Amino acid sequence: MQKITLPPRPDLATKAADVGFTFAHMHGEPYWDESSAYRFTLAQIEQDIEAPATDLHAMVREAVAEIVTSEALMTRLGIPTAHLDLVADSWARQEPEIYGRMDLAYDGTGSAKLLEYNADTPTSLYETAAFQWQWLEDQLEAGVLPEGADQFNGIHEALVERFRDLFPENTDIHFTAVADNPEDYATVEAMAWAAREAGMGAHYSDLDKLAVSKDGQFLDSEDRVIGTLFKLYPWEDLLADDYARHIAGSGCMFLEPAWKAVVSNKGLLPVLWQMFPDHPNLLPAFFADDVADALVANGRPVPAVAKAFDRVADQFRRGHVVKPIFSREGASVSIVEGGDVTEASPNSDYDAHPRIVQAYHPLPVHDGFRPVLGAWIVGQACVGLGIREDRARITQDLSRFKPHFIAE
Amino acid sequence: MRKRSRTVALTILGAAAFTVAGCREEQVEAQAFPDLASCQAEAAQGGLFTPAECDAAFAEAEQLHVEAAPRYDSLAVCEEQHGAGNCGSEEQQVSNGGSGSIFMPLLAGYLIGNMLGRAGGGMAASQPMYRNAQGGFTNAAGTTNFGSNAGRAQMGTQSFAQPAATAGRAPMSRATAASRGGFGGTGGSRSSFGG
Repeated sequence: MQKITLPPRPDLATKAADVGFTFAHMHGEPYWDESSAYRFTLAQIEQDIEAPATDLHAMVREAVAEIVTSEALMTRLGIPTAHLDLVADSWARQEPEIYGRMDLAYDGTGSAKLLEYNADTPTSLYETAAFQWQWLEDQLEAGVLPEGADQFNGIHEALVERFRDLFPENTDIHFTAVADNPEDYATVEAMAWAAREAGMGAHYSDLDKLAVSKDGQFLDSEDRVIGTLFKLYPWEDLLADDYARHIAGSGCMFLEPAWKAVVSNKGLLPVLWQMFPDHPNLLPAFFADDVADALVANGRPVPAVAKAFDRVADQFRRGHVVKPIFSREGASVSIVEGGDVTEASPNSDYDAHPRIVQAYHPLPVHDGFRPVLGAWIVGQACVGLGIREDRARITQDLSRFKPHFIAE
Repeated sequence: MRKRSRTVALTILGAAAFTVAGCREEQVEAQAFPDLASCQAEAAQGGLFTPAECDAAFAEAEQLHVEAAPRYDSLAVCEEQHGAGNCGSEEQQVSNGGSGSIFMPLLAGYLIGNMLGRAGGGMAASQPMYRNAQGGFTNAAGTTNFGSNAGRAQMGTQSFAQPAATAGRAPMSRATAASRGGFGGTGGSRSSFGG
């Protein structure tokens, strides 16, 4: 894994404009940045990212099976009491997952570490699956990349296949996202293209235009009954909204399914660590309440995790990260080293949520930037890679997207 | 082995992915008649439909009425939905094998769509019309309400969707919104919900 400086495509701005990639620049900074790229060997991709991420997803499914049988655990993961059954039932029915993105820390050697799993509303799908792919094709053609260079990016084809496997041809699928956000919309649209290529009907409504009929079915902005709904809106927010009470009786299949509420949830991380202690791709993690006395007051952790904590106590004292169970783009995350908060997100949107603590695992630094590897899962397998890097230790929404390629 | 897709979808020009599959539904010229005689009378004066089309549409609407009229387990419930005096038992309305304890609205007109051979694929070229509780009319699926059972209008092809026999409605059929806007409140100040 190396970061390599490369000439950007001379017609990049035109290309981005032509395809509607309007957020290639954001907040006055480049978001899509192809002035350099990450280079991997095939072995790094297949052995260190692809296979472990697929394994991690299987472990996550085992964890979900445990979590949904325990009201206590689900409550710890912030699932409202009124909706425990909704989540458990969606797992019992084996409602299908479409996609997710694992954020991994990896420096080219050793085991990639799971930082968190955005398994509910991952974005950057378009730039990963499509724009990055076009970059590779263009730069191969221009001779900028070595002949035969490849990319870990079967995302689009895997999505098409997933839709084909799950739904009969011509199934109507509705898509929704919050209005007027081009980034979220691009992910929804990339998903819709895949659904259409698989022979589905794709229909879009803004989230706040959805309605409920007198029979309790969800309707789109044109009053058509929704049978299947892909929503780029997190379950923790859905379950807190006024319409949450209509979900169970609506007869509507949600994508991602409700059980993703316990996956796209930092509370998953301590559950995984408890079920798979010392797994090479996991970082030690605990519910903050269980170990707070030990971390800040020289006290003891709660008995249930005391042994597990003692084994990693020194590692935690050197450095750990505090994360709310629900958080996006680094919000309300802080890093604690030697007892002091050494970095904290300026965004406090998620401060009200319960927290977990995770052993601090520094990201590698390349030219002053820290890359986080996004391992994309479609269905139950890892099928692609997208990289975002940030100057700060906590990756935030100012991060840049970096393309990658595979060459020996 | 190649690690990347052979093709991808490159364009995200606004609503491009949705415009084809999710385009506004097709509009058709449609006309409602209270009975066969009024259709025939208008056909004789060169109306939208021929006498033969009147016959065929009336027969089709009657067939749909038998197969898919809303059914209720009491006269009272039926009259709640369709108004007093507008319901009868299945036994009275279905020629063979109807039950005396199941109630259906009386056929109160029929709606013909100028489908130009597009009927089929879930579309019926005609629909039975029933009284609704508000004194107007509705189609068999209850998805479209009409003020009158006579007159001509442009309407969406979904008004001609085959009425479902089940209680819940099939995806993509029309329904009346009881409320709107109950999702999206929790996100509050955040403008993006992805991550």
